Amino acid sequence: MKPANILIEDRLGAVLMALLLLITLANVIVRYFTDQSFAWTEEISSVLMLVLCMAGSACAIARDTHIRVEYFFSAGSPERQQRLVVVSALCNALFFGVLGVLSAQMCWDEFRYEETSPAIGLPKWWYSVWLPVFCGVLCARALQRLQRAKAGA
Amino acid sequence: MTGALLFVLFVVLMLAGVPIGVALGIGGAAAIALANLDVPSFGLLAVPQNFYASLTKYPLLALPMFVLVGSIFDRSGIAQRLVNFAIAVLGRGPGMLPVVAILVAMFLGGISGSGPANAAAVGGVMIAAMARAGYPAPFSASVIGGAAATDILIPPSIALIVYSVMMPGASVPALFAAGLVPGVLAGLALIIPAIWLSRRHGLGQLESSLPRPPLWPSFVEAIWGLSAPVLILGGMRLGWFTPTEAAAVAVAYGLFVGMVVHRTIRVRDLLTIFREAAEISGVILMIIGLASIFAYALNTLSIIDPITQAILATGLGSTGTLLCLVALLLIVGMFLDGVSIFLIFVPLVAPLMRAFNWDPVWFGILLTMMVAVGQFTPPMAVNLMVSCKMAGVSIEQTFPWVWWLVVGMLLALLAVLVFPPLALWLPQSLGY
Repeated sequence: MKPANILIEDRLGAVLMALLLLITLANVIVRYFTDQSFAWTEEISSVLMLVLCMAGSACAIARDTHIRVEYFFSAGSPERQQRLVVVSALCNALFFGVLGVLSAQMCWDEFRYEETSPAIGLPKWWYSVWLPVFCGVLCARALQRLQRAKAGA
Repeated sequence: MTGALLFVLFVVLMLAGVPIGVALGIGGAAAIALANLDVPSFGLLAVPQNFYASLTKYPLLALPMFVLVGSIFDRSGIAQRLVNFAIAVLGRGPGMLPVVAILVAMFLGGISGSGPANAAAVGGVMIAAMARAGYPAPFSASVIGGAAATDILIPPSIALIVYSVMMPGASVPALFAAGLVPGVLAGLALIIPAIWLSRRHGLGQLESSLPRPPLWPSFVEAIWGLSAPVLILGGMRLGWFTPTEAAAVAVAYGLFVGMVVHRTIRVRDLLTIFREAAEISGVILMIIGLASIFAYALNTLSIIDPITQAILATGLGSTGTLLCLVALLLIVGMFLDGVSIFLIFVPLVAPLMRAFNWDPVWFGILLTMMVAVGQFTPPMAVNLMVSCKMAGVSIEQTFPWVWWLVVGMLLALLAVLVFPPLALWLPQSLGY
């Protein structure tokens, strides 16, 4: 891929992937040498995986690589294909916009009631706050895709 | 009524080409809202809660890790050396190269966990080699697409990890052990028609005249690849590491082999590899997260119960219901990818499984075999798409060849359906 086509989410995803790899490997090595396991990394890894999912998905929205039924999507007249791209982008933008608002509400509740995480005891909203943030990113990427479709790409 | 809306909305959006995860999410969220019109914010807070909870499960981390393993071994140069070694062992002759392709794909299946990555790795080496030996490109693409489908049966397997996360009572090690025999069986079920087709149509006539690599040097060259499944599966079996850790160790091993031993991966390729793995993982994880909303709607709106009761009332019995399910999933499998099929159908059929007392591990292997067949059954066949793209042929051109392979693997599926011990003997004797 050309460097110009690499998104900021691409770099974030690659870094998160590497980070998850290093944490998991460190777990194996530490357990091998010390007979201890640092299980608290599991909680961190799970949240990093959530962010990885959102970052990877943002790239997939921008490039239309999400798994879909291609049967109608990639066949038929260019006008129909264009329309279906618009439908997809609209659905993506709408859904992640709504999910963003709802997850912001969930996060706000966790903040208000001072809920803490089960393993480490950190405030739960430190983790869940990334959900509305990245829903915003996904929504923005979908709108960007919509704009490109309108411009005829 | 709400149930109908859930399915209609989902199916319409899906057919329009909306990403499957988003179609599941919209269908699920709309049904939840409609059923809770009198509740504050329409009960929709369950949407982010289910999404968050389903994606922050630690065992799921094995999934992105095995995706990364696939991306790395794809470029590690291991496939080429395994092919040379397999030719050295099997010799040259009409019909031998397709066998080599199938065996190498099965062997790589013991390292990576996803069909398309396997098809890319084997296709990259075998398509040109098979063309030189006189095999038509559509035939090569069919064989490689089918062979790569054994990958999700032979442990480790991304599909089995997804199934395990969804199905309590089916652990990853038990599923991995259960997939081995059916995976080998599926491979054999491809080898026989591949040889028969080559003989009958006189394919690969040039092969006998090509040189045979020397046995010992090609073994030494291939030793890094040959050891990888031993490290991954053996390490898991001996309790050295969990499936997630086995994947991380395999990544480290693959990077070492690719960057230091075979020198096929350069430092600047790392961004590409990790970026690609992150995007593929994001796509799969997003479907898992959004399917949990759909599953939540199915469960809380009591949509599944009436369907289950209706099926039980038809009096088809256990085997009859299973055969209907196989037929249904084969059709669905032509249009949907494996992970989506699991996520949509496992919540739907789990009550049936309990009603008929099907073993969850055996049932998971059956589902995976159906998905495997779907991966190379046209028109929507992920593995076949990869191998066709590499061979430069269209999926339509593979029709005369690929059906024989589909029938072969279906027979293997029926064997596992009729004799459950084919799947269950190994995990039971290993004590999972």
